[in-house]
Amino acid sequence: MVFVAPAMIVLAAILGFPIVDSILLALQHVQLTGGAVSQSWVGLENFQRLFADPVFWKAALNTSYFSVMEVILVTLISLGVALLLNHPMGKSGFFRILLIIPWAIAPVANAVLWKWILNANYGVLNGILKSLGIIDYYQVWLGTPFSALNFLLIVDVWKSVPFVALLMLAGLQRVPQSLYRAAYMDGAGPLQSFLHVTLPTIRGVIAIAIVLQTIWSLRVFDLVFVLTRGGPADATALLNFLAYRVTFNFLDLGYGSAIANVIFAVTFILAGLYVWLLWPRQPGASR
Amino acid sequence: MFNSLSRRNFLQAGAAAGAAAAMPGFMTRQAHAEAVALNVFAPLPPDPAPPGAAKFSEEAFEKWKAANAATVEYETLAWPQLHDRMATAFASGSSPWDITYNCGWVPEFQSFLTPYADKLPKALVDDLPASSFSTVTVDGKRYGTIFTLSLLTLFYNKEHLEMAGFKAPPKNWDEFKTYGKELTRDGRHGLVLNYGDPAGIGGTASYWMVFLQQAGGKMYGEDGLPIFKSEQGVAALQMMVDMMPSTDPGSISYASINDATNVLLSGRASMMMNWPFMWNAGNDPNQSQVVGKLASAVLPAGPAGSASIDGTDAWTITKSSKNPEKAQQLIEFYLDADVQKRQVLDTGWLPIRLSVLADPEVQAKAPNAAVVLEQAKHPYDSFVTPDYNQVTVAVGTEVQKALQGQKTAAQAIADAHDAVTAIVKRRG
Repeated sequence: MVFVAPAMIVLAAILGFPIVDSILLALQHVQLTGGAVSQSWVGLENFQRLFADPVFWKAALNTSYFSVMEVILVTLISLGVALLLNHPMGKSGFFRILLIIPWAIAPVANAVLWKWILNANYGVLNGILKSLGIIDYYQVWLGTPFSALNFLLIVDVWKSVPFVALLMLAGLQRVPQSLYRAAYMDGAGPLQSFLHVTLPTIRGVIAIAIVLQTIWSLRVFDLVFVLTRGGPADATALLNFLAYRVTFNFLDLGYGSAIANVIFAVTFILAGLYVWLLWPRQPGASR
Repeated sequence: MFNSLSRRNFLQAGAAAGAAAAMPGFMTRQAHAEAVALNVFAPLPPDPAPPGAAKFSEEAFEKWKAANAATVEYETLAWPQLHDRMATAFASGSSPWDITYNCGWVPEFQSFLTPYADKLPKALVDDLPASSFSTVTVDGKRYGTIFTLSLLTLFYNKEHLEMAGFKAPPKNWDEFKTYGKELTRDGRHGLVLNYGDPAGIGGTASYWMVFLQQAGGKMYGEDGLPIFKSEQGVAALQMMVDMMPSTDPGSISYASINDATNVLLSGRASMMMNWPFMWNAGNDPNQSQVVGKLASAVLPAGPAGSASIDGTDAWTITKSSKNPEKAQQLIEFYLDADVQKRQVLDTGWLPIRLSVLADPEVQAKAPNAAVVLEQAKHPYDSFVTPDYNQVTVAVGTEVQKALQGQKTAAQAIADAHDAVTAIVKRRG
């Protein structure tokens, strides 16, 4: 215990202090308005204010849609990519290196890249779709609420798929070949093998991918900041961006902390689920 | 001496020598006794940056540093990140700067700043437009000095107007709408703006503030509460809505003015409201496809006449500065007539000094300067308050909803008015 004490103290300072301080801030009215830092205890007033704030609810709704869709899309696409990479023809290192590129690009650089791809006047996407005859005139992909939110989603899916695909590929490679051979001997086709051998075997990996992806989708900020600034008309304001805007742009530190604590609470619950999924169990115990 | 050298003496002498050597600048302290280190927080070019951060008056800057025995360290950031960096530094009590750039945020950061501008030399103050101090004055004290005359004016493509049969720029709202409609042809749009970011100077809300003043309206009453839920407030937004069919539809997605400027400079739009710096960019063949075709004019008049908003680019001195006098001297250097002249000639950002604006060489290189001076004869209130960002997000978001047809102009203004009232009352 004595030997781990320094590490525990450092961890407490680095992780524990900001968390506790953030919770305390959420219980105070803290503002720099007019230049002065004013602090006063207000109890749960900031959290009560959340319930009456239509912008918070809009951001919560946007975030829910974004997270659910992102998890579904990333999981399905990643599973498909992992299956292709696990196929004898997809085992070339070239494909794996190619796959990792979107994940390796720095988040802000990725957002700037997509800003130009989606540009309403010069964007590559418009150019390609028009040259293929799919659209008659250039579209403003980030111009309407529905389109803007979904393009943010597409961009984040594009960035998230590589890591999850590699995670699933690792899971697929752990499936014993003897199970496939036994299934084949029993007359199972490719689809039946996938449904009754592959999926049950990598169920744990899929569960971890889902939980991790949900946590990550709650943390999306860079894409919103660079691509849309929450617009048009708050259509792409996600909770993380809202917490930033209220805290650093409006300097309403107490209310911003309350929003951040909501995100923290949701993330904490999901992280608990993640730990539960990974926790070693007795042989035969169900997960 | 050697006879008295004991082990203790030897160790003491060694320790003394080591401690002296460890002190920075031990041997050279005398030579640098007068040196002063100044830290300046400024935007990155092409936004208005000072000598040493932008490429102008570099030789004069070196001479100033040598003559004043000062070193100047710049921390520069892209313009959209400036406010939040300052807010974080001030909130944490760790502002490292002597001088900071400010843009409409003086009321917000006022208690972290020193009212040095009350002590500027009379000759300098007399050469600045008196109105330039309005956005940097709080409770009668001047906390900053505007260093560039930066008002929104109308930039337009002369060739496009001539092709459409127009010989002069639009002078009023009716002409503005007609021009917009007629200029929307051949894959081009009559107007382009950046409506993507609701917040701050140059955001969606600030464009509406331009139209609001042209309609004869104001944001706030004498009691500080909003009064824009009015005929003028609605007319201003309706004008913007009416212009939408001839506005580049991408405007609603352009979060930065540079995005919209690129459209005008590529010849894909014919008119836009922009800041004076665009003159240089528009006539630089490396950045523009409309070189020689660009002109500027006073913004079209609404029912109450023309009006604009002020960019409010100012230099301020922080309360935490250890060398406020030297910091003020550096700001006075930034405002020196020769430096101001190079500022406009080399970067395109107009000077604020009236004598430099009247300089024939300046007027020849920046013919838009006369237009900006003319624009300055009309109202150009940016309505800055301590909660300017919050207010502009609330108003700008409602304006965006009206521009997209989600709400009528009247409903959007009513909702914005309610939101701003709540913000102002919460501020107390």
